Amino acid sequence: MSIGGSDLDRAITQLRACKPIPENQVRELCYKARELLIEEGNVVGVDAPVTICGDIHGQFHDLMELFRVGGDVPDTNYLFMGDFVDRGFYSLESFLLLLCLKVRYPDRITLIRGNHESRQITTVYGFYDECLRKYGSVNVWRYCCEVFDFLALGALVTGAATSLTPTDGPIAESIQSMDIPDADCDIEIETLNAQGEIMYRYARNSDSQSSAASQANSNAASSSPIAPTPSNTGPAGTGATSSANGSSKSETGAVLCVHGGLSPLIDTIDKIRLLDRKQEVPHEGAMCDLLWSDPDEIDGWGLSPRGAGFLFGADIVKCFNHKNDLSLIARAHQLVMEGFKEMFESTIVTVWSAPNYCYRCGNVAAILELGEDGSNAGFVRRGNGERGGGGRGWVLGSNDGPNANGMSNENRRLSSVLGDSMGRPRDGPGRRYRVFEAAPQDSRGMPAKKPVADYFL
Amino acid sequence: MAAKEIPDLRTLLGPRRGGGLRGRGGGRGGFGTSHEEKEAVRDSAVRGTDQDAAGSRVSCVELGYLDDPYAELFATQASTRRLPLLNRGTYVRTSAIDNLVDRFLTTSPTSPKQVISLGAGTDTRFFRLKDKYPNAQLIYHELDFSSNTTAKLHSIRKHSQLHQKLPTNTHPLSPQSDSYHSPIYNIHPLDLRSLAASSSDTPPPNLPNLDPSVSTLILSEMCLIYLQASTVSSILKTFLTHYLSPTTPASLILYEPILPHDAFGRTMISNLSTRNIVLPTLTAYPELGDQRMRLKQCGFIDGYKGADTRFIWRNWVSEEEKERVASLEMLDELEELELLLRHYCVAWGWRDSASGEKDVFSKAWEDTREQV
Repeated sequence: MSIGGSDLDRAITQLRACKPIPENQVRELCYKARELLIEEGNVVGVDAPVTICGDIHGQFHDLMELFRVGGDVPDTNYLFMGDFVDRGFYSLESFLLLLCLKVRYPDRITLIRGNHESRQITTVYGFYDECLRKYGSVNVWRYCCEVFDFLALGALVTGAATSLTPTDGPIAESIQSMDIPDADCDIEIETLNAQGEIMYRYARNSDSQSSAASQANSNAASSSPIAPTPSNTGPAGTGATSSANGSSKSETGAVLCVHGGLSPLIDTIDKIRLLDRKQEVPHEGAMCDLLWSDPDEIDGWGLSPRGAGFLFGADIVKCFNHKNDLSLIARAHQLVMEGFKEMFESTIVTVWSAPNYCYRCGNVAAILELGEDGSNAGFVRRGNGERGGGGRGWVLGSNDGPNANGMSNENRRLSSVLGDSMGRPRDGPGRRYRVFEAAPQDSRGMPAKKPVADYFL
Repeated sequence: MAAKEIPDLRTLLGPRRGGGLRGRGGGRGGFGTSHEEKEAVRDSAVRGTDQDAAGSRVSCVELGYLDDPYAELFATQASTRRLPLLNRGTYVRTSAIDNLVDRFLTTSPTSPKQVISLGAGTDTRFFRLKDKYPNAQLIYHELDFSSNTTAKLHSIRKHSQLHQKLPTNTHPLSPQSDSYHSPIYNIHPLDLRSLAASSSDTPPPNLPNLDPSVSTLILSEMCLIYLQASTVSSILKTFLTHYLSPTTPASLILYEPILPHDAFGRTMISNLSTRNIVLPTLTAYPELGDQRMRLKQCGFIDGYKGADTRFIWRNWVSEEEKERVASLEMLDELEELELLLRHYCVAWGWRDSASGEKDVFSKAWEDTREQV
């Protein structure tokens, strides 16, 4: 049989109910997925608005909770930064569902590779055993691993707005409403709980409230010391500025999304594009580092206690962001109890999307929403839709008309030629974090056989 | 296929799946069960924790974390490879306690010493110490539920590597026996709670070969944590005043979880309770400081120290050894490991002899670095 059209929808329905699909369908699905993924570059271009997600780790019911909180595919444009499998009990269902959605809505969901999307790691951390248990053979594991080899290594989000349209939601009970900046301010960060209530809101410094583009350009929100290494030519994210055209206030750089972090072997995004990714994750080298490294409070590079990848400090991030005209690196890979963690003056953020990780850690999870800056044509805008009006005007879930921005890249290239932002730190994109907890225990249908040594007894 | 060639599938099931916990009625803690039944379910769950520990130990040995030729001889379930973070945790736990025990045994090495291991289960420490310190004047006691001591003695009888370590001219290892006594090694089958219940009318049970005057180290690795705080205090009092004379140098090493009130701790309590495992003293002594104070209040007035296992990994393990351990497995669960290690501690306290002079424990442990 072939999986496509209504078959695919049927598979999606079945997987949404957390039921595995038959082996022959998995084979077909993986074949289709590979055909699709092989066309993607090592660094996938993604237009804002987009919702960026971190590790899932087979926590299927929590993935459903994520979709409930963040909106469903294809209504919401998703970017998952890897680690779909291992540790949780439902790696198979989680990964296959994401893969089905990818095949069904290729422009509405982006999957990049995590360090667990690897033959070696999955044999230690559970996905291999799970496939063997659920199918009685390792064929499905093999099919999935072949897909892993084709997953992109990173994504580059362009067209994100510098400010958020404030959520028109209630303020969470636990919050003092006087701490919440007025919705008229230029909102840089907003944190919402799973009910959509506002838990936190942060306004950018008052200069940027102005609608004048020139003022916005001179606004330095971050005082980060940038190493003076500007040598930028070429298209967005490759070292040139990727800003929207000069008349727009929404002047954020691109956002690089990668599972782990940076590599001492990679100083430009173009170098990622040149890697031969279609292989098992190597034990060392640039590809390994991108999937394994972690930011840390150190200077320069350090050895990683994980035994793969490196630690990298604020100076490395700031230099890389500047050189590649990035305003932010979004990455996953590390458990953070609060679901997300910004570091190094908001030049890098860790997003973690597996609540109560391993059913043990007690953490909350988060997803990161980036709005569109309005330079992309064809999106519904709210209110007056005024250009340069602080980037507000994107509407959550109103993203009908994906990839309708034929001209924006040209504009960006032009603006880079104009050289409007050399040596100046960029405003980060407006960031909305939705924080959520684990799906309730009883909806999870925990298997009777719990893992043996959860704790030291 | 001949009948005897058909594998017995039940033997492939671990005890956790095949019987034990599963076989009981009433489900998870069960509604409608009486207090006694609940207690029985909990007791059985606590007894079952020992095979957890045994399996973790075997996993560590097979991967090279620990050198323990005896671990596999006691494990009854087929070895399953544990996750790297659990292996690392087991390594830290075992080597931390080894460190303290080694310091004790190597201080005044010719003087006689006694170790009392509470809830010892399948622990292999006696056999390892016998190899490492063949000339030590050591009297070793293990206390545990009769079902656990029976199983342990069964393993000892079965494996010559084990029973040849024991003196040949003493109490024979008779089948079905749940106790063993000799001048160097003793296994006492008893419910620790019986030591707390004693009064002048019902004195504590006799523990053969326990010497009241020899410097004594009491070990509780995930043992006393399963009992009520008041029971624990009574048990310790029984040891410090009844079994040992009040002037005998004595010490206690605890290994148990801490920090029950943060997100990880709350999740731990809730997860373990679904396995019918309750940790009453965890909330009674939630932090390191509480552990130290409790040691002092118990009578270990000459020293009361504590460190979580994260601190111990960082500060007790040499760089060389860290490197060796880190190279055994790729460890991807770093943040989780840190969380886990922060939630377990080793606490150790001691009293010297009444003379006021520094005695064996002060000499052994005074310089051991604790977490400040």
